Amino acid sequence: MPSDYVPILIYLLVATFIAAFALVLPHYLGPRRPNPAKSDTIESGKLSYGDARRRVPVQYYIVAMVFILFDIEVLFFYPWAVLFWDLKWYGLVQIAIFAFLLVESYIYIWKKGAFKWK
Amino acid sequence: MNDLLLLSPEIIIAVTAFLVLTLDIIWKGDRRSAVILPWVTVAGAVAALLAVVYIWPAASDTYGIATDTGNFVPMLALDRLAIFFKILAVLTVALVGLSAVDFIAQRSPFRGEFYVFTLLAGLSLMLLSAATNLVMIYLSLEFLSISSYVMTAYLRRDDRSVEAAIKYLLYGAVASGVMLYGFSLLYGATGSVDLATIARRIGESQVSLTFVVSAVVMILSGFGFKIALVPFHQWSPDAYEGAPTPVTAFLSVGPKAAGFAVLIRVLVVALPEYSVNWTAILSLVSILTMTVGNLVALWQTNIKRMLAYSSIAQAGYMLIGLAAWSAEPGGWAGNGISGILLFLFAYMFTNLGIFAVAIALENQLGTANIDDYAGLIRRSPYLSIALIIFFLSLIGIPPTGGFMGKLFVFGAAIDRGLYILAGIGILNSVISVYYYFGVVRRAFFVEAEDDTPIRVSPALNLVVTVTMIMTLLIALYGQPFINLANSSAQILAAAF
Repeated sequence: MPSDYVPILIYLLVATFIAAFALVLPHYLGPRRPNPAKSDTIESGKLSYGDARRRVPVQYYIVAMVFILFDIEVLFFYPWAVLFWDLKWYGLVQIAIFAFLLVESYIYIWKKGAFKWK
Repeated sequence: MNDLLLLSPEIIIAVTAFLVLTLDIIWKGDRRSAVILPWVTVAGAVAALLAVVYIWPAASDTYGIATDTGNFVPMLALDRLAIFFKILAVLTVALVGLSAVDFIAQRSPFRGEFYVFTLLAGLSLMLLSAATNLVMIYLSLEFLSISSYVMTAYLRRDDRSVEAAIKYLLYGAVASGVMLYGFSLLYGATGSVDLATIARRIGESQVSLTFVVSAVVMILSGFGFKIALVPFHQWSPDAYEGAPTPVTAFLSVGPKAAGFAVLIRVLVVALPEYSVNWTAILSLVSILTMTVGNLVALWQTNIKRMLAYSSIAQAGYMLIGLAAWSAEPGGWAGNGISGILLFLFAYMFTNLGIFAVAIALENQLGTANIDDYAGLIRRSPYLSIALIIFFLSLIGIPPTGGFMGKLFVFGAAIDRGLYILAGIGILNSVISVYYYFGVVRRAFFVEAEDDTPIRVSPALNLVVTVTMIMTLLIALYGQPFINLANSSAQILAAAF
C-alpha cells in the first residue's frame, strides 16, 4: 500500500532539508577568505600536479579487469564446495565443465597477449 | 524428456562458440580462421536447428525449465513461442555468419572472434525469448546488449565504429536502468519475479492503475530500446551507420525479434488484466514509430542509415499486431501475435538479404552511399533483381513475404476495429515506396560512372539466393508458414 511508504517520504524530506540547510546557511553566514592552498584539490595530503586530462598507461587496467572477472567467477566454487556431498557426481561434472570454460578463457587471454607488458 | 536435452539448442550453440574460440587460438587467427571458422559457425547453427526440430514435440503450454527443483522458480519456458524464436535466432546466426566472411577477413585482424560473438549473441537471443522471469529477462537482455556493443565496436581502428558503440552503450545503459526500475515496481506491487505469479497476484489484489501504467512505460523503455521504437530510437541510425555492415544486419534483425518476444511475453502473460491500458500506449507508440521512421528515411543518402530508419518503421508496423491483441481468439487474421510472428519471419529474410547485397557492394566499393547503386543492373543483374524483390517485400507488395506479414498484422487490427491504426499503417506503407524505390530507380534507370561488374563471393551469393527464395516462398507457398505462425502464438502461462 502506498501509505506504508509515507515514513520514507518524510525521511527523504528531512534529509533534503538538513542537507540544504547545511549548505545554504554557511554560504550566506560564513566568512570567505580564499587562498591558493585552500582552493586546491585535496587527496589524502598528496600535492596535486598537472592536468587531470592526460594520458595514462593502460596496461595495468587489462590485468586489473581480468583479475576482477576471475575473482568473481571463483565465487561460484563456494556454493558448490558447501554442497559437495549433496550434489554428488552431477555437481562434480557441472563444476568441471565450469572450470574447463574458465581455464579455456584464461588460455585465450594469455595467448592473445593480454599479460604482455608492452 | 530430460531438462538438459531440452536445452540442447542452446548447449550446441555455446559449444560451437567455444570450439570456434579454441580453433582461433590454435590457428593464431591466420588464413584458416577467416576461411574455415564461418563454416564451423554455420554447421553449429544447422545442428542447433536440427536440435530445435527434435525438441519440437516436447514444447507445450505447460512446460518450463526450473533452475532449482526444490523451489520451482521457472526461468525458461519451452512453449511454441520460444521454439519459434529459437528458429529465428539460429537462422540469423547462420545468415549473418555467412555474409560476414569477406567483410571481416578484409577489414579486421581478429577474424575468428567475430563468429564467437555472433554465436554468443544468438545464444542470448534464444535465452531472452524464452525467459519467463524478470531476473532471467534482465540477465539475458544484458548478455545480448554486451555482445552487441562489442560487435558494434568490432573495427576498433575505425573511429565511426567506436563512436557508434559508445552511443549504443550509453543509450543502452540508461534504458536498461529505467527498465530495471519498472521491474522493481512490478516486484514491489506483487512480491514475485515470475510472470505468471505476477499475473495471479494482480488478479487477486487490486493494484492501482497509475502503478501499472508507470511500470509498463518504464519496462517499455528497455524493450523499446532493443526494438528501436520511437521515443527510444535515437541510437539506432548512428549505431547502424557506424557498425560493420554484417553487424548492422544482425542488429536490425536479432535484437528486434528478441525484443518483440520478451515484450509479448511480459505484456500477455503478466499483465493481461490491463490490456486496455497497454494497447492504448502501444497504439500511440506504434503510430509515432511508423511515421517518424518513414518520414526521416526519405532524406537519407547512406544506405545503412536509410535501412536503420526503415527498420524503425517496420517495427512500428509489427507493433500494430500487439496493440490489436485480445485474450479471445481472433478472426481469420489470428490474435495479432501470429501476425507479428509471420511479419518477423519474412522481415528477417528480407532484411538480411538487403544487407547481403549492401555488403557485396561495400566489399568492392568501400562506401555505402545510395548513389553507389546507380547502374547496378549493368554491373550485377542478379543483385539488382534480388534488390527489387527485397524492397517489394519491405513495402508489402505481393508476391513477397512482407505482404503476408502486413496482411495479417493489419487484418488483426481491422478485425478488432482499430481502423485508424490500420489506416495510418497503410498510409505509411505508401510513403515508404518513395525511398525504397529511390534505390531501385538508381539501380535500373541511372547511368553508372563506372561499369565494372560487381564480383560476389560464393558465401554472399548463397545468402542472397536463400533469402530471396524464402522471401518469395513465404508468399507463394504460404500455408505452412501461416500454420507455423498460428501454432507458435501459444504462450506458456502456467504458474509453477
